[in-house]
Amino acid sequence: MGVRLLVLVVLSVALMVVDARFALLKPVRSQMSLVLMQTYWITDLPQRLYQGVASQFGSRTELVAENEKLKTENLLLQGRMQKLAALTEQNVRLRELLNSSALVNEKVEVAELIGMDPNPFTHRIIINKGERDGVVLGQPVLDARGLMGQVVELMPYTSRVLLLTDTTHSIPVQVNRNGLRAIASGTGNPERLELRHVADTADIKEGDLLVSSGLGQRFPAGYPVATVKEVIHDSGQPFAIVRAVPTAALNRSRYLLLVFSDNRTPEERANDAAQAQEAEDKRNGTTPIIPATVPKPAPATPPATAPAVTAPVATPAKPAAHSARPVKPAATKPPAAAPAPATPAARATTRQREE
Amino acid sequence: MAGTHSRNGWIVWLTFALGLLLSVSPLPQFMEILRPLWLALLLAFWSLNLPHKVGMVTAMFLGLAEDVLYGTLLGQNALILTLITFLVLSLQQRLRMFPMWQQCLVILVIFGLAQLVQLWLSALTGNRQPTLALVLPALVSALLWPWVSFGLRGLCRRYKIN
Repeated sequence: MGVRLLVLVVLSVALMVVDARFALLKPVRSQMSLVLMQTYWITDLPQRLYQGVASQFGSRTELVAENEKLKTENLLLQGRMQKLAALTEQNVRLRELLNSSALVNEKVEVAELIGMDPNPFTHRIIINKGERDGVVLGQPVLDARGLMGQVVELMPYTSRVLLLTDTTHSIPVQVNRNGLRAIASGTGNPERLELRHVADTADIKEGDLLVSSGLGQRFPAGYPVATVKEVIHDSGQPFAIVRAVPTAALNRSRYLLLVFSDNRTPEERANDAAQAQEAEDKRNGTTPIIPATVPKPAPATPPATAPAVTAPVATPAKPAAHSARPVKPAATKPPAAAPAPATPAARATTRQREE
Repeated sequence: MAGTHSRNGWIVWLTFALGLLLSVSPLPQFMEILRPLWLALLLAFWSLNLPHKVGMVTAMFLGLAEDVLYGTLLGQNALILTLITFLVLSLQQRLRMFPMWQQCLVILVIFGLAQLVQLWLSALTGNRQPTLALVLPALVSALLWPWVSFGLRGLCRRYKIN
């Protein structure tokens, strides 16, 4: 018996070391998880059944009220969306003028929570999308209100998400009001994040919105993370104590969004978008027209395209920029410059499809 | 008799499957910290009563399953469960003679030790639990031991598992 114990202990320790240091056991793990992760699904069944039954027996008045509420909400959101579309296009155009590479182009997919990590000292959740759905390691996860965390373990059809409030998690943020940068660390309390090493004199106050700064190259920039709850200036401490509350409902959300931010270069992105646009045009049988919003064909005469422009803001800026800058950008990479305008249009169509 | 050598063994596996389900079933926030070590309880019972069938190798495989479920290092829970089974098996002769309350005490000590090893291993991998609250599951498990024991013994008698 003692010998057997020794063998098994050595085996376990060896397994742990190998698992910690090398990627050798990843396939074994994912095969095992294929079967074992069903247990999370099974333990989630009562909840699902309850929801099913509740939706079956929901009273008519309740449903009507909910429908009304959703309709108004939808109206509001769509109103905001219209403005957003215009703003996004404008933003992209202005960024193109600046030759900036940081184009906002992100796709989201809805995932559902199927389990919580049973260990009470870690904040991790299991979601029902995995490697086969295109999820990648380190992928950011949102809910309707803000950032929730990132994917830390991939399995074929499920994945494990580390929440922002886990003690081992930190995220680079900035204050939305003035761009002050900081690092928000988890505390193990689902309602609290702490900002580390914020100077006592820093301009940060109660109620400030913290958004992700995108500096860690892991989270996309500009998503809400937390709101500052209290700032304590203790003269005995070298730094101010800043506590914040995550905006996402970390322990309540059931439906989450997976963000697929693409890390293609702007050229690739533009080419892809152009190809997608061409394919669509072919399918629709229309002649490939240049998107109305963008008068960019390099040497074109501005007056000819000007009437078609919907957002008047950019019109004066365009030719000015072109004339101000030497011929170089237009001449060196016409393929990049020409298809680039297709991006907003293509994005608009995908957005509509996602709706 | 060769026929009676192994009978109704599937029930043992069924209880283990149930144990795996229980070990990930959602609990209210305040009870998470008290979640009993279901697999360890089941392993302790079966290795006491069917030592020819359930032993350290079974414990190891169940532990690996638990590792995959919990997302810990492959082998961590396997090591813990193997240790628990070893301790139970080495105390087997005495444990079977003990009255129930004494069995509970022994279980408490064994599980408490196991949880301490668990703490040590998680500290090595960088997620150290901040408190000693993690011996609470051992306490809850020890309190549950009589019920688990009576229930499973009834199951044994009913289906004549051996």
